[in-house]
Amino acid sequence: MTPQVVAATVGWSAHRQAAQAGADAAASAMERLSSQGPPQLAVVFGSSWFDQRALLQGVRSVLGEIPLAGESTAGEITSEGPVSHSCVVALLAIDGLACGVGMGTGADRTPREAGQRAAFTALQAFGGGRRAGLLLFGDGMVTGYAEVVRGLQEVLGTSFLLAGGMAGDDLRFAETYQYCHGEVASRSVVGMLLGGSARLGVGLEHGFAPISKPRRITRADANRLVTLDRQPAASVYEEYFGADIVRQMREEGLNRQGIAYPLGMQGDAADQWLLRNVVSFGDDGSLACNGELREGAWVQLMIGSRELALEAARRAAQQAIRSLNRTACVLVFDSAVRRRLLGPRHAVLEIARIREVVGPSVPIAGCYTSAEQAPFDAGLSADQLATQPLATQTGSVLVAAIGV
Amino acid sequence: MPYLIYVVFTIGVLATLLLTLGGAWAPQAAGMTLTLLGALGYLAFKAETARRKLTELHRLQAAYDQLDQQTKLIIRTDLELHRTQEELDRRLASLMSLYQLGRQLEVSLRPDEVFSKLDASVVTNFGFSKGAIGMCASLDTLQWCSLIGVSETCAESLKAHLTASGLLKRVLTNPAPQMLRALASLDPAQQRLLDLLQVPAAVVAGIMPHSGPAGFLILGRTSAGAGTSQADEELVAILTNHLAIAVENSALYEETWASRRELERKVQERTRELAEANAELLRLNKAKSDFVSSVSHELRTPLAAIKGYASLLGSGQFGRLATPQGERVAKIEKHADLLTQLITNLLDIARIESGRVTMERRVIPIEEFLGAVHDVIQPQLQAKHIRYTVDRNGVTALVGDPQHLPRVFVNLLSNAIKYTPEQGAIRVGLKREGESILATVSDTGCGIGPEDLKKLFQEFYRANDPINQQVRGTGLGLALVKRIVEAHQGRIAVTSEKGKGSTFSVTLPAE
Repeated sequence: MTPQVVAATVGWSAHRQAAQAGADAAASAMERLSSQGPPQLAVVFGSSWFDQRALLQGVRSVLGEIPLAGESTAGEITSEGPVSHSCVVALLAIDGLACGVGMGTGADRTPREAGQRAAFTALQAFGGGRRAGLLLFGDGMVTGYAEVVRGLQEVLGTSFLLAGGMAGDDLRFAETYQYCHGEVASRSVVGMLLGGSARLGVGLEHGFAPISKPRRITRADANRLVTLDRQPAASVYEEYFGADIVRQMREEGLNRQGIAYPLGMQGDAADQWLLRNVVSFGDDGSLACNGELREGAWVQLMIGSRELALEAARRAAQQAIRSLNRTACVLVFDSAVRRRLLGPRHAVLEIARIREVVGPSVPIAGCYTSAEQAPFDAGLSADQLATQPLATQTGSVLVAAIGV
Repeated sequence: MPYLIYVVFTIGVLATLLLTLGGAWAPQAAGMTLTLLGALGYLAFKAETARRKLTELHRLQAAYDQLDQQTKLIIRTDLELHRTQEELDRRLASLMSLYQLGRQLEVSLRPDEVFSKLDASVVTNFGFSKGAIGMCASLDTLQWCSLIGVSETCAESLKAHLTASGLLKRVLTNPAPQMLRALASLDPAQQRLLDLLQVPAAVVAGIMPHSGPAGFLILGRTSAGAGTSQADEELVAILTNHLAIAVENSALYEETWASRRELERKVQERTRELAEANAELLRLNKAKSDFVSSVSHELRTPLAAIKGYASLLGSGQFGRLATPQGERVAKIEKHADLLTQLITNLLDIARIESGRVTMERRVIPIEEFLGAVHDVIQPQLQAKHIRYTVDRNGVTALVGDPQHLPRVFVNLLSNAIKYTPEQGAIRVGLKREGESILATVSDTGCGIGPEDLKKLFQEFYRANDPINQQVRGTGLGLALVKRIVEAHQGRIAVTSEKGKGSTFSVTLPAE
């Protein structure tokens, strides 16, 4: 039976005071939802410039004790487009919705255990009923996120849908924050388990295409790329970018040049490319990337364009809603580097493309993230999903649609 | 291909063996030799094909490498474009931010409010990740107003270092934006500043309106190597200029606001004083009215006696009077009448002013009203042969006090007769105007000068006129008329032209 109430609203505030911004955004969302019934869960995205605790207190002062998850951002997203230095609150009310939120701390020291704890506490809070998927809110500063995911999968199963984004801090790479109910933490993972009558649809796309000669990873250590075709990885990078650009990249860290040409690590299928950005250069000629690398895999430099990026957003939105009969709201986890690459005008167009697909009546909330996490093709069945590699990458857009 | 070589080799060995044996084996050896030759030809063909393919492969490899080289060129060119694009995006964001900030600053009313406008969006749009702005009352004092990405503890350390090292004074003395980069050649005090802010590069600038030092600004970048450029300095210079102008404007506004407040305070004070003076005047006026009323009452009794006895004397009850005596007694009587009228008017004015008299509101038929008035003035009209006309214009009645309202018209008509020469004309006009009746009394008399018009309704005022010097009057008639009209909720006005006549207009409520 189709649930009678399938509603979601999004509130936004750019008030300078954190507590007031949180309260205003929550009040705005509540006001719009008032005729539909009380909210059952809240997703909060807050600018990293705010005092995070004050922000969450402001939100909770309006919403009370409902399940809440969220994270700090490198920019926020509403139906109208990208915003900055603000707070976005999404509220959901679906008849028969089941939800559980859990957090695992210490993701930098014991990532697998953190994943297990987040999944376990979310499961405990969830209770019984059909499980649709888990929305992840991670820490953008934790590099070994694959272990966190393994921890989550050990509890929830490998064929379980996991999708989300890693918290951002406006590309300052200092500290990011995760929200779980009234708690604010760093180096943690928060999971929001959704189920009952609710369904979760996910689409992940990046729109980058390979441009260079393929090179084989001959030596890698977790997220450190040591050699390519038995040559120091940095020398291959220098070969394409030139010494000057590489010197700038060594000095500035992740810059526009780096994010415009990420490395693409080929997945199991010929057209699957996991994006990896170089975040720093090692003295031994190695490259530190923002995700794990697999020895023996082929890598190529990838090229992106604004048109390809916009098209990718459209495809991600299509993937997200294709398994839903009715979409209540859409959460967008968009890469912060992508926003930088697109520029202000095209960043607005990107959200407009998503809105064109999901429809103008579906509220959109989201944030710009440090990294995005989802299966390559989340629209597959559970059996097929088990065989799908999980993509944790930077530079993609993840659209998560919640509905029935 | 290698297997074919083995076959050819095997055939060759067998053919050689058969040829060695000779005899019956010769035909088989010849067949095998032919096969061998065929195989060798095929092998030669295949070797040529393989050689051509290898050449093609080498050519493709070279083309592939060439394409890869071109890819490198494209990437490097594209990277430069990206760099330019990013710089342009940042400049655009900075300019947009400056524009928005400028609009916000326009409505900033206090210097501290001006500095609080520097928020995270301004800092990030300018491409920085940390910022602090403070007010400076002098060259060595600093009070932070806005901190972005800087903790309170860090801000306190920065403040202590800036004042102790004299860096604040140096910046305020030379307020142009200055780049600080973590280089070995950097001044130790400046390096310490970067260390405290935990950034490798920063811009410091003073905010200096014409009135003197107003503020200090520091903006820092956290990303290593992202040093500031000359364009950054220029943008920050525009920003600090904006802020300096806004501080000046806010100071001017504050000054204007203070003046206005002072003016308002003075106006209120004067208004209060005037209100007090007015209350005192009202009190005095009432006291005067009470005094006049009381004195008039006291005067009436002896005056009645004087008039009574003068009348008795004049009637000859106490003996016939000589002609001069009779004339004198008649004068006493006449002046007593005049004095009685004066006292009566004074009493009426006092009563009306004190509110002791309330006007009745009765419908008075116009015929009755005008008839009564006409009866009073008829002898005077006849004496001067004045033409008297009334234009009723359909007005059938007046609403007012039957005792007092005729006095208004008797007074106005008496005055008109007094100042109109013989054979002149007086016209009474009546007209309905909405909810009011407008009654006019016009004459063809000598008219009233503009200087007298203003004071005409004042008590005891008499125009400086030759006729007034001949004709006696109390100077209370028009004052009384005005009070009676106003007590009826009406208005009285006069227009006049010297030598041509006057028109008195009385507006009374119609119902």
